[in-house]
Amino acid sequence: MFKLSPEGIEFVKKEMVRYETKLSAVIPCLYRVQDENEGWISPECVAYLSRLMDLGESEIYEVLTFYTMFNQKPVKPLHVQVCCNVSCAMQGSRKILEELKKQNNSNVTLSAVECLGSCDTAPVLQINREPYMEKVSLEQITKTLQERTSS
Amino acid sequence: MKKMIKCTINNYPVEVEEGTTIIQAFKKLEQEIAHYCWHPGLSIAGVCRLCMVEIEGNNKLQIACNTVVQDGMVITNQSQKVKDTVRWGLEFHLINHPLDCPICDQAGECVLQEQYMKFGAYQPLMSEDKVKKRKVVDLGSKIVLDTERCILCARCTRFTDEISKTKELGIFNRGDRSEIGIFKNKPLENDYALNTVDICPVGALTSKKFRFQQRVWYLKKAPSVCTGCSTGCNIDVYYNEEGLWRIRPRHNSSINQYWMCDKGRETFKHVNPSGRLKSSFRHTAEQTEKMTTFQALQTLKLDSKKIGLVLTGSYTCEEYDAFLDFFQLHSIYHWKNNPKNFEDYDNFLIRGDKNPNTKGLLESINKRQLKLEDCTQLEQNISHLDLLIVCAPENHKLYPCLEEKINLFLKSKELVWISPHSHTLLQKPINTVWTIPSKTYFEKTGTFINHHGTRQKIKAVASIVDSARSLEEIIHILKTGQTDLTQIASIRDKMKTNYFMEQKGSL
Repeated sequence: MFKLSPEGIEFVKKEMVRYETKLSAVIPCLYRVQDENEGWISPECVAYLSRLMDLGESEIYEVLTFYTMFNQKPVKPLHVQVCCNVSCAMQGSRKILEELKKQNNSNVTLSAVECLGSCDTAPVLQINREPYMEKVSLEQITKTLQERTSS
Repeated sequence: MKKMIKCTINNYPVEVEEGTTIIQAFKKLEQEIAHYCWHPGLSIAGVCRLCMVEIEGNNKLQIACNTVVQDGMVITNQSQKVKDTVRWGLEFHLINHPLDCPICDQAGECVLQEQYMKFGAYQPLMSEDKVKKRKVVDLGSKIVLDTERCILCARCTRFTDEISKTKELGIFNRGDRSEIGIFKNKPLENDYALNTVDICPVGALTSKKFRFQQRVWYLKKAPSVCTGCSTGCNIDVYYNEEGLWRIRPRHNSSINQYWMCDKGRETFKHVNPSGRLKSSFRHTAEQTEKMTTFQALQTLKLDSKKIGLVLTGSYTCEEYDAFLDFFQLHSIYHWKNNPKNFEDYDNFLIRGDKNPNTKGLLESINKRQLKLEDCTQLEQNISHLDLLIVCAPENHKLYPCLEEKINLFLKSKELVWISPHSHTLLQKPINTVWTIPSKTYFEKTGTFINHHGTRQKIKAVASIVDSARSLEEIIHILKTGQTDLTQIASIRDKMKTNYFMEQKGSL
């Protein structure tokens, strides 16, 4: 059974009174849960958080499924998030994602995410929570992933 | 008193209270306006973008549901600009809507169909494929969800958030993958869940029990009052030649607003012909004799007998008055559905008193200064009685103590059981038992007084069992020895065609 650490519970309690409504605190609390649950949010986590925050499970699940920065499945050590929104898609990001899928790297989880907010440097991707890789090419990311997998 | 302000809608001048939204003003004027997400009983969502109006002096179109009327506003939804916008709005709603109207249970009362007939583009221009979503999603024991048909108006999620406050439903995912759903293993099982089916403008939420039973345009509807408990929610009963098919709430701002409970929706089954008591019987230990209600009442000897009377809250005020005036007894026994939770209330609509007219019974008793006694008193007195008359509940299912009480009543020397239904225990008695069919709320005219003391009239819609008689009619026969029922005012003004033909087989 998932449970937040005492500091985590403290954090959630603080966030809940920080905004006008408890609902506004769902995003920071989900981040916290994700950090404490090895990078993803399971249905048990949602049920736990709904009890802790006294919100409906569906209210939390709505937020969880809307935002791509919350993972609904376990992720591998390298989580590559490729922006597939308009600007990046036009600069070939969806093609990069397709190619990366073919490489089938067992240490990598690939996901298509919504706008990362850096359209001027499209195509953009992010590995885990590191700084963005901007104006990225397939060769560049392939090389990076190979290096980091072997190290 | 709120300040009244003037505005003009589609060239008609109208005066509305300050703070009225434009859509409410349209409804007041009975002007047509397209809308899905707006519902008078829920908060404003403003997501369907169909209730567009043009306001003079405002360059951009506004949504009528979330714009408040200002003094002197000139509003129209008849301009070409509005019509084009609504047409395109509809087109967007239909991008991912499946074309499965022939197998959709909402067809015929679907707002999407209705709007498209009025405002539609008729020449779809989409070349993209539709997004496929989940169909026939099980939401629990009562409701099925079709996410492709959903247009995301959020009426159902607002209902579970604001009215039932159970929060089962949510809108998950985003963009064109958005869909209504429940969180894993938490089904939509609250006592008011089926209201979401009523307010769903399309066929996304359908009732498991009603879907595929009938095409709605073949059903007639009649206004009535729910007999499931003492709240007395206003209802519409949907019926055809074969019987009753469903019950839906009817708006009454002082009793049930737009809603009713799921248990109340079940209270039509006992009205239908199957299982009804269809003629009178005299059961004795040796034999069972079938006769008409008239014959039974003629054969029944009441003179110089010590009579006991048991009443339930299922009958109308007029029936109680007729009965009490005729029998002239000093004390009456009150049979409650369940004395322990008789006073229960869920703070919304459901009450523990499962009778529509307990207040009416008490009123009739008090008017005559009679004594109302508990059924426990009857246990002591029953051996002194010659004849016990029981006006049994209309809907036996709501009385958990039914068998226990019947066993008590059977101890009397002679028992008269008046109810729309019989019971197996009554059919093999030691002493004499008469069973006389009575009418249900669907077949009689009269008054119910609900828990708050509100008097509500019900009207007979059709007769279902020919031989059934209301208590008023029974007294009329006993008094006069005549079957001419047109003497009774309450049934004189009804006498309609009989839509129910018991002889007819099912289609």
